[in-house]
Amino acid sequence: MAADNPIDPIHQFEISKIAEMQIAGIDISFTNSSLFMVFAIAATMTLFILGLSKRSIIPNRMQMLSELSYNFIANMLRDQVGDQGRAYFPFIFSLFMFIFFCNFIGLIPYTFTVTSHLIVTFAFAGLIFLAVTIIGFMKNGLGYLRIFYPSGIPIFLAPLIVPIEIISYLSKPISLSVRLCANMLAGHSILKIFAGFIVMLGFLGFAPLIFLVVLYALETLIAALQAYIFTILTCIYLNDALHPDH
Amino acid sequence: MSSDQNDIRNLQEKIQAAKKSSSPDAPNTPKPIGKIMKVVVEIVAAMAVGLGIGILADNYFETRPLFIIIFFLLGSAAGILNVFRVAKSLQNN
Repeated sequence: MAADNPIDPIHQFEISKIAEMQIAGIDISFTNSSLFMVFAIAATMTLFILGLSKRSIIPNRMQMLSELSYNFIANMLRDQVGDQGRAYFPFIFSLFMFIFFCNFIGLIPYTFTVTSHLIVTFAFAGLIFLAVTIIGFMKNGLGYLRIFYPSGIPIFLAPLIVPIEIISYLSKPISLSVRLCANMLAGHSILKIFAGFIVMLGFLGFAPLIFLVVLYALETLIAALQAYIFTILTCIYLNDALHPDH
Repeated sequence: MSSDQNDIRNLQEKIQAAKKSSSPDAPNTPKPIGKIMKVVVEIVAAMAVGLGIGILADNYFETRPLFIIIFFLLGSAAGILNVFRVAKSLQNN
């Protein structure tokens, strides 16, 4: 049914294979999703190679942009995690730039939004969750388990509190990935639906057109904000792993 | 002369302020906006995890629907706990 309809807001999320590949029966084809991931990495690298090639004392715009983004993440990491977090800066920074560019490239018409697929964001969140758990056990040993049993709780409440804390801990990667994916999916669908209204209403279409412009500005904000939130929550989880006492 | 000394004093104050803000044990104050966006998803995620554990446990022990009920309730409690934590950290800011 969706195929007959020229206005199909879900079509933009379809995965199509560009080059088919299979290894041992596992489909690892190069899809449009992979292509736009490559674009996001290329955009990040272009920004930094162009921005940092001259390294002048009075920076030009590209250098400003790359230095600002570096400072932004470095400050965020220092505020959230403290000095111990410095070792994880390369990962956090790459994560932020990748999600940021994925979100922004997806805003250009006829492109594909990588972060609108739950499996992509869940792969990120799951990996971060595993890494943070391993870091927590490496830094604190078995003492890391006390995050499941907050101090000052009577022992007879432990059978109730500990499962609740464990579920709360396990829900972190799910809420992290669902938040990013749902925001991207919903935002892009709404943009497409309102764009469809413009066509359907003919002359009266100027009303949804105005709304679409406003909505597009909002989506731009959300694209940046969601990348920021994903990164800052990663920092918070990292902080919990490094300092489980508070 | 005195304006030079003033300048130096100003500079010292600035350096001190910068040192304070960049000291390793600067207080952990997450920005509120990130916290607000957290709230809604937290409940759903915790419930989903509780339900998932319940279904797995029931499939394993073949006691459906005992564990689903127990873990769904625990999951809901965990969701409320998550929201409570977010609200508390918002209040501190």
